[in-house]
This record gives sequence, structure tokens and C-alpha cells, in this order.
Amino acid sequence: MEIPGNRLRPLLLKRTISAKHDQASNVRPLSVLEDTLNYLSNLWDSTEHPFEVVHDFIFDRTRSIRQDLSMQNIVGGQVIQLYERMVKFHVISHHKLRRCCGNSNISSMHHLNMEQLTKAVTSLYNLYEANRTSHSIYENEAEFRSFYVLLHLGSDSQPMGESISLWFRRVPSLVMKSKEMCFARRVLRYFRLGNYKHFICTTEAEASYLQYCIIEPYICEVQALAVCCVNYGGYKLNPYPLEDLSRLLMMKESDVESFCSGCGLQIYTDEIGKKFLPTKQTNFSHPKKVFQNYSLLQSERLERAAAECSKLL
Amino acid sequence: MQSEKYSQYVDIMVPLFRALQNYRLGNLVDSYQAFEKSANAFIQEFRNWDSAWALDALHVVAYEIRVLAERADRELGAIGKNPEKLKGAGSFLMKVFGVLAGKGPKRVGALYVTCQLFKIYFKLGTVHLCRSVIRSIETARIFDFEEFPIRDKVTYMYYTGRLEVFNENFPAADHKLSYALTHCNSRSEANIRMILKYLIPVKLSIGMIPKNSLLEKYNLTEYSNIVLALKRGDLRLLRHALREHEDRFLRSGVYLVLEKLELQVYQRLVKKIYIIQKQKDPNKAHQIKLEVIVKALKWLEMDMDVDEVECIMSILIYKNLVKGYFAHKSKVAVLSKQDPFPKLNGKPVGS
Repeated sequence: MEIPGNRLRPLLLKRTISAKHDQASNVRPLSVLEDTLNYLSNLWDSTEHPFEVVHDFIFDRTRSIRQDLSMQNIVGGQVIQLYERMVKFHVISHHKLRRCCGNSNISSMHHLNMEQLTKAVTSLYNLYEANRTSHSIYENEAEFRSFYVLLHLGSDSQPMGESISLWFRRVPSLVMKSKEMCFARRVLRYFRLGNYKHFICTTEAEASYLQYCIIEPYICEVQALAVCCVNYGGYKLNPYPLEDLSRLLMMKESDVESFCSGCGLQIYTDEIGKKFLPTKQTNFSHPKKVFQNYSLLQSERLERAAAECSKLL
Repeated sequence: MQSEKYSQYVDIMVPLFRALQNYRLGNLVDSYQAFEKSANAFIQEFRNWDSAWALDALHVVAYEIRVLAERADRELGAIGKNPEKLKGAGSFLMKVFGVLAGKGPKRVGALYVTCQLFKIYFKLGTVHLCRSVIRSIETARIFDFEEFPIRDKVTYMYYTGRLEVFNENFPAADHKLSYALTHCNSRSEANIRMILKYLIPVKLSIGMIPKNSLLEKYNLTEYSNIVLALKRGDLRLLRHALREHEDRFLRSGVYLVLEKLELQVYQRLVKKIYIIQKQKDPNKAHQIKLEVIVKALKWLEMDMDVDEVECIMSILIYKNLVKGYFAHKSKVAVLSKQDPFPKLNGKPVGS
């Protein structure tokens, strides 16, 4: 299907006055929308206000930018870039909102953010398809497509949109074979098989910061699975050294201790102060409290990636 | 067609002829549009007839409108326009479904229309729309599944079975696809092949392995190496087979199901090691050094260290594919003396 790649389609101005659209009923043209997004990017790093406030402000305005864009039915590389930036905003918010403990509204904010993330990402994929001129893919397409896979890691969460098997059918082959998608598919495989060691190692070694933001909630689940399996299958007379567990889970040893307590398990300390997890304990339960106070993965590489990435929105 | 008594047939027949003429000229979009007009007029009349005398004709209309819409969409795509005729055909068929969903004799035609809708939704990728029709068929009291013609039941179970495969509900998928298989005409090899294409991954996931003769008979040899990998405990072969037929498996939607067979392959590998050890020294066979498993994997060109193997063993134990425990300090897996490798027996792993 030949679509003139980078030319803008004629604007279809529809005047829809909805209660949610609290700005003027005039739809803003593309250049104005880009300026708006640039203005919002500058607010992103603001340290004067708590993150939730900044998020809320940007959240409303990016949503209305997307509404204006979709009403005009514009396609083209510029629009794709705007959507990519907005998806990035939602992904990082997804990560940061998990760590905000003040506001009681946080969990509903988190849920709404997830909703908009899904919508933005779906629109972005449609744009990639609509703009395709040849068999090539966009510069960031592989990474942004990988987000869909990572969003569907959870076995218990209702798939937002279609099941991943169905979704794979429509992904271009070039994307499927890309480095970012292969990473996401491997992580998916490890998660589904319960291979906790490879899941944790691979994430630490290869995830981009944005991919990590999406995977992070599942890391806790996988670490709990690891502790569960070690407790279940470990020889009773061989308590598992916390030092080894900390290497396995890529957590600081002190954090491992509180993590195990969070799972209802007891630790014992020997005469020389070394700590162990006795196995075959019967009180294991999945930790309910989300561990917000420290980074789940001890990783210098990820810390560096985080510092670089959150500056550019 | 001058008489008023037959005037309603004019509305059906005239556009139908126009559709036929356009079809012969190769104008598929015009043909579809005319056909849709004819079909709408037909359904208006059909609604008023009390008996189900025209049900066969309705089935033809339902089939033709879908096929014609697919071809019209191809034409639209080729000239750079938005292909929306198949979607329109879907809306029409939903309307038809509504007409058939009543207490009268027409209701036995509803399953056929449902299957046409399934084919449309699968083609468009809007598979989630199947849910509402399925709900109508399965919960509405006017429908008795047994009343429907066998051919429609087979097609219905095939599609709903596929949906269960996508959602990885293996017991339900097994039930539906097996129903389709047993009730399918034994002479229509193409249909049997289509059913087996989805049933085989399901059966593999619940521990049942097809004979190679079956795979060859129905030209499903893409599964041959996977079956062999499961029998041998050959992880390298499994990975190779998945890579070799990756596009095909991804397209049919069974790739993830097949990937998950890895755990069963590991189980088989460990079992083989156990059997070999048992031949050498039956008293010590149930103790397997993790280093031995590392070595076996190395022969298969899979590079894993002892920690990674310990992780695999602990998952196999947790999911009840292996009975026993692992000793972290001495790096040994100790198997239970009784039934150390429980069979799946028709249940998926970990259930």
C-alpha cells in the first residue's frame, strides 16, 4: 500500500465538544502541539514539586495532545516522534509512581497511567504501520514494540488488548528479529518457564532503562518465585547461604534478609555471623508489600542508563 | 417482474445480477457493493417468512458476502484505499445472526453464520469480537448445541478450540479440538490437517506425543523435530526446530506454546541421565551431580554453569516434573526413589 510517507494528510477538523476536552474547541495544529510537548518536557525535571503533582499535570496535557492529534488524523515522522516521547513519559511515570508513598491516590494514578500507556502505545503501532513505505522499520520501533511484550509478562493480569500470541502474528518480521524484540521474547520465555536465574541476569545485563521500567514490577514476583523454589526444593540439612541468594537475586544481602521476612520466612545466623535461609519452611507467602525503598536490582549499568534516560523526554 | 406480488424480489434480484456482471468484469468492489444491497433486501424478506425454507439460500448469501468482501478488500488495498468491506460484511452477518436468534425453526442456521463471523474476525485480527457471538450461542436458552448440523459444530469447535490455544487453556482446547477431530469427515484430509495443526501443540503440552506416521500422513512435519526433541531430551534440537519454523509457528500462534515444552525436554534429559546411572550402579542412581547435567548440556552445545543448572532443577522440582530435592552445598540433585519423573497424564505442567 503506497502512502506518501512524510507529507501531512489534509487536516480533518472535527469540532467535538466533550466535557473532558476542557481546552478551547479549536484543535491545535501540529507545530503548536510539538511546542506544548517541549514545554512539558522542561517541567519534567522539576524538583520543586513532588513527582505525583508533576505527573498529574503532564498526564492531562499529553492526553489532550493525543486527542488533538487523533482528531486531525495526521500521519508522518513528526507525529511518530511525539507519540514516542509521550509513551516514554508514561513508561517512566509507571516506574516512578511505584515509589511514591505519600498520596493515597497513587494506586489509581498508577492504574490510569497504565491505561493511557496502553492507548498511546497502540496508537503508536498504528502509526508505524500507516507510515511504512518499504520493508524498513522506524529507528525506535523495535524498542517501542518490545514494550507490548513486556507489558504482557504477567500471567494473572488480564491482557490489555489481545493475547500476545495473536499480537505476534501481525508484527513485521524485521521487528521480530530485532535485538530489542529478541531480548523481550527471551525475557518472556524465562518468565513463563519460571527460570528465575536467567530472567534476573538477562534483565540486568541487557534491558534498556525503559524496558527495565516496565519489567520492574515482575522482578519482585520472580525473586519471590526464586525464594519459594529454593525453600521448596532445597535440602533440609543445607540451609542456603544468604550471600549466594543475594548473588542469585541481585539484591544486597541486607535487602535479601528483609525480603525473606516479607515472604514469611526466617533467617538464622551462625556463630561467625554468616546468615542462612533454612529450607522446607512452611510459612512461605508472596510478599504483599511492594518494596519501594530500594532498587530491586543491584546494577550499576541500569543506574547509569536511568540517569541518562530520564533527562530527555 | 411487473406484478406487485413479486416486487420484493426485484430488490433482491436486480442488484444480484449487477453483482454477477461486475464480478465477471473484475470490478470486485462494485460487485461487493451490489451484492451487499441484494443481501440486505433478501434478509428483509427472510425476516418476514415464518418457515425456514430459505435457510440454504441464506447460507449461500452469508458465504458469498464474506468471500466477495475479502476480494473487494484486496482490490481496495491494491489501489491504496482503506479496505473496509470485510468489516461491513461482518456487520451484515451480525444482523443476520440477530434474525436467526429466535425461537422458530430458523435458529438452526445460526451456527453456520457464527462460523462465517469467526472466519471474518480471524482474518481481520479482531478476534476479541468472537466473544459476544460465543456467549450468545453458549448461554442463550433458545439454542441447543446438539440441534445444529454436525458440519457447523465441527467448524465451531475448531475456531473456539483455537481461541483456547491462544489463551493457553489446554484442557478446554484439548476438549474442543478433539471434538472437531472425532466428528470431522474422515475423508476431508485438509480439514483434519487444520485441526491437527493446533491439536498437536496442545497434546504435547499435556504430555501426549503423536506418532511420526500421523505427522507424515497429514504433512505436519514441522512438528517432527519437536517430537524428537521431547523423546530425546534434546534441548538443542527443540531450539533449532523453533528457529527453523519460527515464521510458521508465529503466524499460526502456537510458538509460545511450543517454547514452553522446554521444561519437559529438561525432564527427559535428566531422566536419561538417571537411566544411564541406574545401569552402572542402581544404588547410587538417584543422586545426580549437577556437574553431570552441565556436561550433558555441553555435549548439546548448551553452555550453562552449575548455578543455572541448579535453578533448572529447582524449577523442575517445584513444578512436579521431578520428585526430590537439591543440595546446594554438595551440588547434587537427589531424586525420590519412587516415581521420580511423574508423567503429566493429560494435565499441563505445574497444575
